[in-house]
Amino acid sequence: MGFSRLAGGLLLLFLAFALLYPLFRILLLGVGEGFARALENPYYWERYRWSLEYGLLSALLTLALALPLAFAFRRRFPLREALLALSTLPFVLPTPVVALGFLALLGPRGLLGVDLYGTKALLLLAAVFYNLGLALRLLLPVALGLEGPLRAARVLGATPLRAFLRVGLPLLLPALGAAGLLVFLYTFSAFGVPLLLGGARYATLEVEVYTLLAYRLAFPEASALMLLQLLTLALAVFLYLRLRAYPLVPGELLPARWPLGLSLGLGLLFLLLYAPLLALFLQARPEAFASAWASADFTPLALALANSLRFTALALLLALPLGVAYGVVARRSGLWDLLGLFPLMVSPVAVGLGYLVAYPGLRGSLGLLLTAYALLAYPLLARALLPALRSLPPSLLQAARVLGATPWRAFLRVELPLVLPALQSGLALALAALLGEFGASLVLWRPEWTTLTLAIHERLGRPGEAPFREAVALASLLALLSGLLFYLLDRGRGRWG
Amino acid sequence: MWRILTLAAFLAFGFAQEITVLTHSSFSLDKGLIAQFERETGLRLRFLKGGDAGETLNRAILTKGAPIADVIYGFDNTFLSRALEADILLPYRSPEIQNLKATLLLDPTFRALPVDYGWVSLNYDRAYFKDRPLPQAPQDLARPEYARLLVVQNPATSSPGLAFLMATVARFGEDGYLDFWARLRDGGVRVAKGWSEAYYTHFTLYKGDRPLVVSYTTSPAAEVYYSEGKYKEPPTGNLFPELAFFQVEFIGILKGTKNPEGSRKVVDWFLSRPVQENLPTEMWMYPARRDARLPEVFRFAPEPLGSVRLDPKAMAQNRERWIEEWTKVVLQGQNPDQVRRGRR
Repeated sequence: MGFSRLAGGLLLLFLAFALLYPLFRILLLGVGEGFARALENPYYWERYRWSLEYGLLSALLTLALALPLAFAFRRRFPLREALLALSTLPFVLPTPVVALGFLALLGPRGLLGVDLYGTKALLLLAAVFYNLGLALRLLLPVALGLEGPLRAARVLGATPLRAFLRVGLPLLLPALGAAGLLVFLYTFSAFGVPLLLGGARYATLEVEVYTLLAYRLAFPEASALMLLQLLTLALAVFLYLRLRAYPLVPGELLPARWPLGLSLGLGLLFLLLYAPLLALFLQARPEAFASAWASADFTPLALALANSLRFTALALLLALPLGVAYGVVARRSGLWDLLGLFPLMVSPVAVGLGYLVAYPGLRGSLGLLLTAYALLAYPLLARALLPALRSLPPSLLQAARVLGATPWRAFLRVELPLVLPALQSGLALALAALLGEFGASLVLWRPEWTTLTLAIHERLGRPGEAPFREAVALASLLALLSGLLFYLLDRGRGRWG
Repeated sequence: MWRILTLAAFLAFGFAQEITVLTHSSFSLDKGLIAQFERETGLRLRFLKGGDAGETLNRAILTKGAPIADVIYGFDNTFLSRALEADILLPYRSPEIQNLKATLLLDPTFRALPVDYGWVSLNYDRAYFKDRPLPQAPQDLARPEYARLLVVQNPATSSPGLAFLMATVARFGEDGYLDFWARLRDGGVRVAKGWSEAYYTHFTLYKGDRPLVVSYTTSPAAEVYYSEGKYKEPPTGNLFPELAFFQVEFIGILKGTKNPEGSRKVVDWFLSRPVQENLPTEMWMYPARRDARLPEVFRFAPEPLGSVRLDPKAMAQNRERWIEEWTKVVLQGQNPDQVRRGRR
């Protein structure tokens, strides 16, 4: 069909320019001299080891907390829906917001007066904060479907423990694996949080690559480390794709013995979990907004805000046709499915680095930045769209064609309206991700393009109380903005993840 | 899609006769002087702070295709070769060159012109050392009782840090400097990211816990100048002129500027007498012009005798390796012998 071939061609062209060629250049640079130099240095191995440790520990901790939570959410209790909606909130928060939240609570100038800055504990807490909602979303449907099999096991004479171990756990394993791998993917290649919270000791590979580039212009070493990271991520994605879930019939919600106690307990837990966010808003002072607005030393608030909104809007304009094209091509082909996941695997810093290497003549042009933004945004959009497209009965399309519609018209008038809600959800997710974009923006930075995230980073780089206050103010603004825009677009549907 | 991009690019760039000067973050000049220049030339000046001197230069290199500024100021002799090799600067034989000290003209292609110079040097807090003995020689610094009093800057992220590292290379030689740093590391030297963090956060004069800091020979004079009469004598002093490192800061016109004419005017202006006589009390460097008068407070900032200099070619060839070896020993805790064996 010509229509889907056109979409495929467009997408391939974009991927070749925005991803494959830059990656190829990194590969070339990395496998040469850089790889040898990087691999003989134990320091880089230590960075790699720490990135692995960070990813694995975060995954384990998150799962350890998410599993009991998932079981708690099988029950019916007041405010269940509200708490569930709240659990996904961190996922749409930009990384600098989360980092600043933890600094506002547990940093050198934190509310609690305990300084955990530059410790492993703080980094792990931030990772759990970030990923708990995601893990919960993945585990909950399976936990809900467990009731039937568990009851069957009990009827056949198994003790509750035995039923859980022999029936429940095996059924849960694929979801546990998927959630664990996703958390690993996100934290292993984390950038914003370790950059702002970790100091030099807990720099991940991603942070190290940025440092190598910004301060030493060491392209070969940076490329080599990027390559190492890519291979690891590819392995994790491969494992992720191999996981097959059991088809479970989703069960009803179970009654709770003490519904009020459950909502109270879980409410308290979430309050504790979101304390950094609360601390952020508590520490945001009006005078800091005023000084950030008229700042002479740093990018003024208005410019940063305008940049964030402008780039996000422009990049979404680019990402929208790409995401739709991807959905159209991928709904019938597994290979395309993989291609769509690929950009999610490549870190934003790597993308920025690749552009600098591959297109030296375009260095410092806005086109590159927007390309990077679009590349990072369209898979999010597409992943929300794909299930909706796949669930459309083919007879609808056939009917439209029989009635004389061209394929293009059939798509526009029949399919698109039907998947619009899913598209909107995807758009909301992409928007939140772009507002918080950090890595690629930092690598492809031009001063007049300083976004809110970069303006926060800029202020944190300077010692003293006043810049920190301004950073907190900007972060709370960014949190409100992305939260608000996300919920306006998504309306709490949450058709993703 | 490209129309959107072009439109966006168009919106992103300024118009008008604006000249952007990319500087390091310690840049400052008298506002009246700047306003006067703008009045006389009809140009508008925008100063863009790109971070530390090295970081600023890298920014210019990473945006080579579409430069983020017209003029770059503040990269020093330790980074000169990087700027020249990256081929980001246009040559300009300013008529003011004849008024500059000839020894500062380190670039024969006239792409980088010297604006000012100075010395990175060890400062100590006089109050702290009032009843305590000062280290007597540079190698004493590596003794634990002094190493734990010292804060330096990371040479990978800070230009005074790099200058101090090079001073130790010049003083202790290729074979000895890593041992010196290994002993500093074991003794508990603190490494700050940049100068302002070291000076304003860790130095005892500003409520830190380190009475020895890598700064500039002019810093004691600056303390007197800014104290508004509180200090008659500097509260800090310079230690070890033989560890002071000579630094020249350059200006250059970035390739791809849309206004070469205006950029040249800006360069001339930086080298003109009013700016040259203003910069000592603004950026605490010595003017490159021969006929510029020094302010009175500079009597507290004598030029150090016997300071170290390294051959520019040696700096160009070895800079990256020194930084890498320093990082391995000080930050990554490797053994100096092992690092030296790894040299090729």
